[in-house]
Amino acid sequence: MIALVDCNNFYASCERVFNPKIDKKPVIVLSNNDGCVIARSNEAKTLGIKMGHPAFKLKNLIEEYNINVFSTNFALYGDLSKRVMNVMSTEVEKMEIYSIDEAFLDFTDYASKERGAAIREKVKKWTGIPVSVGIAQTKVLAKVAAHIAKKHTKAGVFMFDDENLIRRALNMFTVEDLWGVGTKIAQKLKAVGIHTALQFRECDSNWVNRNLSVNGVRLQKELFGEVCYPLELTRKRKQNICTARSFGSEIKKLSKLKEAIGSYANTCATKLRKEKSCCTTVSVFLSTNPFKPQAKQYNPYKVIQLNVPTNDSMEIVKFAIKGLESIYRNDCIYKKAGVIVGRTVPQGQTQLSLFDSLDRGKRKNINIAVDKVNSLMGKNKIHLAVEGNGRKWKLKQERLSPCYTTRFAEILEVRI
Amino acid sequence: MKLKHLKHTDILDFFAVDETTLLSIPMFSDSVQAGFPSPAEDHLDLDLNLNDYLVQNPSATFCVKAIGESMKDAGIKSGDIMIVDKSLEPKNRSIVLAVIDGEFTVKRVNVNNDELYLMPENSNFPPIKITEEMDFQVWGIVTYIIHKAV
Repeated sequence: MIALVDCNNFYASCERVFNPKIDKKPVIVLSNNDGCVIARSNEAKTLGIKMGHPAFKLKNLIEEYNINVFSTNFALYGDLSKRVMNVMSTEVEKMEIYSIDEAFLDFTDYASKERGAAIREKVKKWTGIPVSVGIAQTKVLAKVAAHIAKKHTKAGVFMFDDENLIRRALNMFTVEDLWGVGTKIAQKLKAVGIHTALQFRECDSNWVNRNLSVNGVRLQKELFGEVCYPLELTRKRKQNICTARSFGSEIKKLSKLKEAIGSYANTCATKLRKEKSCCTTVSVFLSTNPFKPQAKQYNPYKVIQLNVPTNDSMEIVKFAIKGLESIYRNDCIYKKAGVIVGRTVPQGQTQLSLFDSLDRGKRKNINIAVDKVNSLMGKNKIHLAVEGNGRKWKLKQERLSPCYTTRFAEILEVRI
Repeated sequence: MKLKHLKHTDILDFFAVDETTLLSIPMFSDSVQAGFPSPAEDHLDLDLNLNDYLVQNPSATFCVKAIGESMKDAGIKSGDIMIVDKSLEPKNRSIVLAVIDGEFTVKRVNVNNDELYLMPENSNFPPIKITEEMDFQVWGIVTYIIHKAV
């Protein structure tokens, strides 16, 4: 059996741990640059605030209902996530950390609601974060169980321990809420009259195979309790690494975009080296502000194919800037830009090119030295000149909560 | 103690209090150099690690700064850093970080004839009697107080 432990409204809950005054009050957390809503407390959900809602459209609602608004504080959420995962790891032999706020726990040795409840209790007491626990034979069913635990139980724990219960639950579960079913697949299914998870489980598997590929077949089997997605205990190599940001204030000039793109490309290269990977493509994209439809809209995307896979900062930045220059237009105002390094291969397994003129050994030593200095002295202490010093494109975080757990200067202060 | 940069992803930077910073292990090997070995060698131990001393349960431990004088006789002065462990159960006489009606406070627990009091340690402050109507909750237990000398 597998247990899915899912933190309830994780970001909002993190803010509440250090701010008990906002308990039971509406809380929302905004994305980078305070753009849109990316987390909501239950109270905020009740007010009808949707995920991805642009913040500027919520101004009246925020004032009317006294909604507590926070910028994302990932240092804080990351620290609390690590604590939550550590607490759970003391309770099971094996676990898979699935995302910042979810983990699958191995309950094969012993599965019971009581065990789920004990873990829930412990996480809440030790870290202050409320979680829901769903227990079932497979990951897909555990996801359904966790959803039921969160929405329909007081205890916050739900277990699928008999077939009748599973049938009844799947009958009430809409198919698009299943793990791995996106809007496209859901539309396809609805077109042939499949609306509930139970209908999907019971439809012809040949049809699923023909129309939804192997993942659809796996999903169907998992709904029957057959494990197709076992716990993944080792981390997979990332296929793509993306660094993209919305700008605090919009950018028109090429020189400013170069700084931003240069910096994102360097971040990508650093991440590649950390993963011990090299990339074979470098892509650059720009986008204008979609919330200003009267302004000219332009969202170009350029992929550059590399002859030799690389994780060298200077090389990746050079290609990214080239890409930027090829798509830049001076009659647009840009809101966002990003760099994606793709088709990664393990470092050391790269195919060399006959016409490669770069002294790769020397570059490698430079990168090692830069990474070392930056890890000791702080991120970006050494960076490429093209990244500039303006920092105009840095994050806008007007409602950032303090880093209560990771910076001594910002720890929780209590009036006693 | 220092901050450790754990991980950088597209949108995330992970930090944690670096639990290894203070742990430097002196390595001695008498086969490397000829000559008289140090008589202190057999008595070398690991360096002192303040994290080990102050933090029993890292996952449940938080640092909190105290502002105010209400606990000065318990050794908590304004500006001191308290080590707070959420995993411990409060006992009679524990110093707790508590939440009363949404506000944080630090006081000593005193259970007297089935009545629960939060006691200040400064005669200028009154005890707080915890009643049914109050929204009361123990956030964590204060285990150590870091106070700057001078």
